[in-house]
Amino acid sequence: MSEIWVLVDTSQDKVRNVTFEVLTAATKLKEKNGATVAAVYVGDNGAGIEGELAKYGADKVYKIENPSLKDFNPSLYSHVISEAIKKHNPEIVLAGNTLQNQDFLPRVASRTSAGLTLDAVDVDISSSSTLQVKRYRYSGKSISTISYHDTKPMIATIRPNAFKPAETAGAGEVINETAEVPSSDNFTILQTKIIPKERPELTEADKIVSGGRGMGDGDSFKLIYDIADSVGAGAGASRAAVDSGFVPYEMQVGQTGKVVSPNLYIAVGISGSVQHYAGMGSSKVIVAINKDPDAPIFQKCDYGICGDLFEVLPALTEEFKKLA
Amino acid sequence: MELKIVVIVRQTPDTEAKIQANASGNGIETSDIKWILNPFDEFAVEEAVQIKEATGAELIVLTVGPDRSVEALRTALAMGGDSSIHIKDESFGEMDSYALAKVIASKIKAMGDVDLIFAGKKWIDEESGQVAIQVAEELAIPQATLATRVAVDEGAKKVKVQSEIEGGQRIVEMTFPALITCERGLNEPRYASLPGIMKAKKKPLEEVLIDSIDLEETGLTQDGLGSAGSRIKVDSIDIPVIKRSLNIIKGEKADTVQADEIQKASENLAKLLREEAKIL
Repeated sequence: MSEIWVLVDTSQDKVRNVTFEVLTAATKLKEKNGATVAAVYVGDNGAGIEGELAKYGADKVYKIENPSLKDFNPSLYSHVISEAIKKHNPEIVLAGNTLQNQDFLPRVASRTSAGLTLDAVDVDISSSSTLQVKRYRYSGKSISTISYHDTKPMIATIRPNAFKPAETAGAGEVINETAEVPSSDNFTILQTKIIPKERPELTEADKIVSGGRGMGDGDSFKLIYDIADSVGAGAGASRAAVDSGFVPYEMQVGQTGKVVSPNLYIAVGISGSVQHYAGMGSSKVIVAINKDPDAPIFQKCDYGICGDLFEVLPALTEEFKKLA
Repeated sequence: MELKIVVIVRQTPDTEAKIQANASGNGIETSDIKWILNPFDEFAVEEAVQIKEATGAELIVLTVGPDRSVEALRTALAMGGDSSIHIKDESFGEMDSYALAKVIASKIKAMGDVDLIFAGKKWIDEESGQVAIQVAEELAIPQATLATRVAVDEGAKKVKVQSEIEGGQRIVEMTFPALITCERGLNEPRYASLPGIMKAKKKPLEEVLIDSIDLEETGLTQDGLGSAGSRIKVDSIDIPVIKRSLNIIKGEKADTVQADEIQKASENLAKLLREEAKIL
């Protein structure tokens, strides 16, 4: 029977939430084409992960374990996944749109002569029985429907938050795969530094509060962090705030920063340029706080307060805390 | 022998450009668009120019695209590139990343002794950095993506790259030839100066018609070019229209909420987010 694969993302040996979202996407496809959903783990220690994967619909769990797969090496990971693909011939391969998957799945696509789309927000089976996905292009400015030619496998990554994880029992049958891992003499990892994050990653956050030029300086971002922390939100910024040196680039939301789609996006002191909206326009609910009644953001939001952010933020933070 | 560096660039619509679907519905209307060098490619060109200045490397910029794409090459040449290659493809957009990577890899392979390849971390039009990575795979060379620091050891033919990774950063060392994609923060791209722009017009430009590229010749499998060599196709492009409720709380007397109205406005907004939007 044909298989839909879901590549497993882990963090400290625990399955990441995005994998359950992708399993839910795979289950949607399974209902159309009757395929088997198989989760595929690559790494050095996948002990016991099958329980959770089965809870979200994994019929099978392939484990490709090897000590030399402990650290992510794009060439080695693409080698072992491509070999497994050639052996089992899955029809569709899905994965979360994480940095790691964006890094090595293009190599897998070339190696297996496969079609690849990154950052899909929806998946379906087309009338000609091939994979069809929707994805944004030109950041949030356009959404494309893309279909695959009839070649296997068809590979896609899924944007975090695009699917809500839904529990559905799968058999979770474990299949241990042995992998021959070639030596890697042209690529050596010298140092890895995990930087603990105080707030959720923007690309995966359920809520985000962003500050713009209206914040005036970097110190004022404390107001953004306070309100973000009151509801467990990520903290972002507009390009103007980053260019002015208020906060680092990693916080930038927009066409040349991070493209995000949280359930709640609060834009504070952000006028709402085309390039900023392109990076957050697919958010479910957009809230604007700005003292300029003519700011373009007020034409593209669900709720807003037209007022001085330095007065509004402390008051709103207190209200949010009451709801928590 | 001096280093040889290739920078893969792309011409993209300006970030402030409004995007509309074209008449056939599977491409964009290009008539009113202002085109620029892909913003992330600026970091790639700048890094390569700095290496050239330090080592005397030869720097070639390469693009695939229609006639207008030559402007992106000129910008890169004005920043300090030595020569450029324009693979001309008027049907640009039909080819997916799989086919495009084969074309680019084939041309680079034919150049022989390339040591380093740079590219931006993503193209802001396709919203993806996959082509550069697929080029690395076609050439069977290592890659480091999202680079924020690059240190070249010319003598040892090695490069150290600091990269963003999930939850942190890491430093890897690669042996030449290697491909690096560039993140903002790597450097401060220089502006193309007026003399630089004048000089750029006189620098060598090699034009290659895409149909003349023979993938078999460089050992890459020939599935055909254009859509025939592709694995996916764009069925349609839509401009998302999300209806927003535009529920803006304003002041009693002025548009702006006054100091004594802040408390009430904040209570109202929190209540709307909880009860109407059901988001808190």
